[in-house]
This record gives sequence, C-alpha cells and structure tokens, in this order.
Amino acid sequence: MAIQGNQISSFTETIKSMRDIIITNIVLTGQIPAPTFEEEQKAAMLLERFSIAGVDHCTTDGIGNPIGIIRGNDRQKPPIFVVAHLDTVSDKDVDHNYMVKKNTIVGPGVLDNSVGIGVLASLPDLFRGLGLSFDSDIVLAGVVRSIGKGNLEGIKFLLDHWKGPIRGAVCLEGHKLGRLSYGSEGLRRCEVECTVYPGPSLKHRYPPNAIIVLNEVINQILQMRFPLRPMTRVMIGIISGGLKHGNAARSARLGFEIQSDSPGMVKDVSDRISDILEGMAHEYRVNLKLKIISEQLPARLEFTHPLVKAALNCIKALRLEPVVIPSESELSAFLAKDIPAVTLGITYGEESSPPGLSKIRIDTMFRGIAQIVGVIKAIDSGVCDEQGVD
Amino acid sequence: MSKAWIETNTFHHSMFSDIGELVKAKEARGLSISLCLPTLNEEKTIAKEIVILKSELMSRYPLLDEIVVVDSGSTDKTLDIAETYGADTYIADKIFPWLEKCKGKGENLWKALYVTRGDIIVYLDADIKNIHPRFVYALVGPLLLNDTIKFSKAFYDRPIALDESKTLPSGGGRVTELVIRPLFSLFFPELAQILQPLSGEYAGYREVFEKISFPIGYGIETSMILDIYKMLGLYSMAQVDLDRRVHRNQSTRALGRMAFIIMKTFFDRIEKLGRITLAKELFDEMIQFVMVNNEYIPDVYRMELVERPPICEIDEYRKKFPPTDSS
Repeated sequence: MAIQGNQISSFTETIKSMRDIIITNIVLTGQIPAPTFEEEQKAAMLLERFSIAGVDHCTTDGIGNPIGIIRGNDRQKPPIFVVAHLDTVSDKDVDHNYMVKKNTIVGPGVLDNSVGIGVLASLPDLFRGLGLSFDSDIVLAGVVRSIGKGNLEGIKFLLDHWKGPIRGAVCLEGHKLGRLSYGSEGLRRCEVECTVYPGPSLKHRYPPNAIIVLNEVINQILQMRFPLRPMTRVMIGIISGGLKHGNAARSARLGFEIQSDSPGMVKDVSDRISDILEGMAHEYRVNLKLKIISEQLPARLEFTHPLVKAALNCIKALRLEPVVIPSESELSAFLAKDIPAVTLGITYGEESSPPGLSKIRIDTMFRGIAQIVGVIKAIDSGVCDEQGVD
Repeated sequence: MSKAWIETNTFHHSMFSDIGELVKAKEARGLSISLCLPTLNEEKTIAKEIVILKSELMSRYPLLDEIVVVDSGSTDKTLDIAETYGADTYIADKIFPWLEKCKGKGENLWKALYVTRGDIIVYLDADIKNIHPRFVYALVGPLLLNDTIKFSKAFYDRPIALDESKTLPSGGGRVTELVIRPLFSLFFPELAQILQPLSGEYAGYREVFEKISFPIGYGIETSMILDIYKMLGLYSMAQVDLDRRVHRNQSTRALGRMAFIIMKTFFDRIEKLGRITLAKELFDEMIQFVMVNNEYIPDVYRMELVERPPICEIDEYRKKFPPTDSS
C-alpha cells in the first residue's frame, strides 16, 4: 500500500531519533579512502555494517560491489535496488579524518558520496525502526568504479549479471536535498593529450608549446555552434600540462565532456572535434590524441511516470522545493536497461578544495532520508509495475 | 624472562568481535561497564567517539552502561558537543571541589572513578581519529571472558607475525622505545612484554583502580602498570591488538617533557619498591633550549610528581562505593 504524505513527515522524527546510527555509518565508511579502482577496504567496511545491521544476505559480486539483500515478503515480486557509489575523488594519501560537529560533518568526500553510503548502510536499521517491511527484496549496493575513468563499471557489471527483472531503483547522492533526477543526458567524456615531438627534432626550429596548442583547441571548440534543441554543449573541465615556469610545455592534457539530449549530436560533435584535432596536429606538427574515457546514452522517465510523481509527492510532503536536474551517475545505467529509477539528494552541504573541508549538514539529512524511504515504499506499492522507460 | 605471558595474555581484537557474547557474559556476571573519556580541548574528535560508541555499544548492544566525559577545563566546544551527543559531562575541578585543584589526565581518570558507576571502567583518550567499537569491546573482552584478568591494555600496528593468529608491532611510540622500554628492561624484564605500556586506552575493574594512587599527569600509565603488577602480578594483565590507532602527532619537545615526568614516576615507584635508593631527591624542572635571535635560551618547565591517593581512601567515595568482601 502506498505511503501517504503525512506518514512520510512522521518518518522524519523517527529517523532523527536514529541520528547516531546514521552518523556512525557515515564516519566509519567515509573515513576509509576509496579512490576509483581502490575501493576494497571501504567495500569490506560496508559489508561489515550490513552484517552488523542483520541484513539477510551479504555478498560481494565479481567486480567488488558490496551487496546486502533484505528479504521481502512476496517471492513473486522482483527486487528493488537502492545504490550509492562507493568511490570518491580524494586520493589515498589524503587524511580521511572526519570531524563531527553539532550540526555538520566535515571531511574528504563526505558530500560526494560518503553520506550516500552511510545512509545506504543505515537503511536496514531505519526500516526496522520505522516498522517497515516490503514485498520485494531490497537490494542495497555500494557500487565501485563509478566516477571518472570508472565509467560506471560497477553498476553496469551488477546489472549485466543480475538474473531476473528489477522492479525499480533509487540512487543516493549526497547533494542536495530536494534533488530529483529522472533522466540522464547523452554524454561522451573525452581527454585530449598534446605532445610535442621529443628531442632535437628536424620538424621544429622553434618547438610549439603544448599548452598554447590546447588553448587553440579550446578556442576552436568555443567557436562551434550547438543547437538549443536537442540541447547540446561541450563542458571544458580539466586542463593540465608543463613542468617548469620558464620552459615551453612539451605535453598538456585537456578534459571535456560532450553533453546532449541526442545521441546523434554527441557523435556529431565528437566527430567535429576530431576533425579540429586532426587539422591542428598537422598545422602545429604535434601529437594530438583524442581518448574517450566514458560514454552514456541519454534516457529518461516521462514527467508523468508514476515513479516521478511519487518522488515529487514525497519531496513536497516534506515541504521541500524539488530541484529537477539530469544525472550522469548510476541512474543512466538503470534507465539504459529500461528499469525505472530516480536519483535523490540527501542533504545540503559544500564541496571544497582542499577536499578535507567538504561538509554536510546533519539536521537536513533526516528529511532527505525520509523521502528515500517514501520512494522505496512507493516502488514496493507498485508505481513502477506498469509503465516502462521511454 | 618468561615468554608465557605474551603468548597467553596477548589477544587480537577480532577474538572479541562477537559483542552479543560479551553482553551475555556481562549480564551473567551482573556487571556494569562505564566508559570514561578524559578531555582537554578535544572538539575535533570527541563527537565521533561518543556517537560511534553510543550507537554501537549502548543502543545496538548494551555493552556499555554509560559514557562519561571528565574535562580539565576546555576552552573550546568540547563539553557542549559532548552533551549534544549524549555523554554525561563533568568538569574535573567540580568533583571533590574541596581538594587542591590539579590539572592533568591522571586527575580526570581518578575523579572519573567517583562519578562513574560501572564495575569495569574503560578509559579511552579522546583524540582517536579512527575510532571504532573495537577500541572498547576488545579491551573489555579479556576482562569478561577470563576470570583472572583484571586489567587490559591496548597496543597497535602489527608488522611482525607472532604466529598464524597473532601479530606483534615493531614497537610503541618514541617515548615507549627510548624511555620506558629500556627502564622496564633494566628493572622488570617481564614487563617489557607489554608492547605499548604508554597507550592511553585501557580497561580494568573498579576494585583494582580504586586501590592504586593516580599521578595527575602523564605518569599515570607507568604507575598504573607498576602498581597493578605489584598488587596482582603480571598474569592479572592482558594486552590487546587494536590494529591501528591514528591520533595527533606530538613534537619531540613535548615528548621530552612527557618522558621527564614518566621517568620521575618510574624512579618514585622503584624506590618505593626498594629497587633503588636515591641519595638525593630528583629535581622538578625539565630544561629545554630554544634559539632566539641566535642565542640559546633555556625553556624551563616545572613538573612535580603530584599524586592522588587510592580513591578508596576518600570518605565520599567509600560512602558511594562501600567496600565489599572482595575489595
């Protein structure tokens, strides 16, 4: 049976009374460094937390995703997935010391996505505290190899190897409370590496500067015209290169993403950038290598999909302003397999540089968790059972 | 040197990870357990210690009966935060207020005996960055599951394998390796088996702690081992490998001052034990030098060895905790 708005509001108080368990899980899992491809220790801690919470079945799949399964009451119903990415952007040598204050938790990766993992680890206790049981099995998964070069390998592996249908899914992200994602853009994440031919080359009397070459690449990308519909853009996110202040850079690297609602446009823009690189490599006589780091196809639920409506109702019942944004994360993997799914934000916070000062607010996360529980309950009541993904 | 103790009384925390069994043992013996965190400006770490230990060892498993913070006069938000997360907080100066005021970790631990109510007291430093429930359950495990063990002490790291199930650290901290281990080796070789005698995490029975005196400062760990050794013997003690502990690093100068008071405590104890006779009293000033404007200036710290007597000698304490047959 679906959950009513006032019931979700009442969840908040019970969840608040279980604050210590949630903070404990955020700190115990979050203080273990987990850069992409090095998540084993954090995965083991998440499994330990599932086990301590009395989860019926705890395991790790072939790629290293830690998984806990809470058995449902109806063996005929497909499972509901709740996932959060386990990896964080902070390196292993960063001091992962979390500081708990009166209303904040501060530390590397706490917003993206230790709070998501901590909440995932807390769900078994929270369900028990709220007196909730489900018809479906609830599959709790911390997924590895998600961000950057991980290219969502963890969630893709999990879904590729899962036998049987999946009823629906909820993806947990720390930022920010009220966030609702039910679609993902088409995306191609690329890296351009520019290297000047090494040694006393006959090719260059005055060797070019790799940074200047990439600067010219950026200029040419900026001159490209993109349609508003389907929405298409190139986001330039990373540039690095050179060794010394006084020497021309021999190598430099540019990272960017092509984002579009249309998979055709992603490919088209990518091809045009390849042409630019080819021309410039010839003109400057340098190596310009384009590498595709990751790629995803656009997919979305309709706004009228019952899961989206149920999620919006939960958010509004908690007197939150929904913020609808596309997601590049695990959501796209579910939608790509026609599994209805949404991504929900848990609390407010700030990312920071250096990462040690990233923080989350404690008092707001209880409503964030209440909406998650409400949406899981809505899926269990059948909002995903009829309509598929468009 | 007997090798048996290190083999029979050294444990790994994983041996006590079945917390449910520990709770059963505690209840079967009708015991209660108090955790005491002595503090001075620990706002960065105090909350997570309280939250994690309360969540796992009070709410999830009723292993601990109370968490008590005894503070030396923090000027930051230590006490405010500790209260927010549900610890019972006390200012050391307000416990036995008629006594002369002293500041130090040992003072807080001693006074904690009066404000706590447990039969077993667990003492943890409040600056542990990687706090985990094992810091408590692994220390009380040997006490609950072994009738002869009355005191357990933590050690950390594990680079040397003892056998398939046990590992030993290569050494303690700098003060341990440069000061206390040489002293133990010279006077009490048996005690050199204690791998990190200065670790700030230990647990024991009230009936033991109430009968020993407490130096108010850094000497407390040294005196505690020597006094329990003298009172009950080595086999009343155990040590537990907690894997890893991350805490604040201290400067060599600060460690020098720590070493000074530890050595004073040690010489005091061995003189009382009749192992040495000092022809003259030891001095109370630690002299270090700092360079100011190309000149070496002495930086003198006065550190007297001040001790609280066994708390069972205090009337108020005896009223609250009347002596029993076993004590």
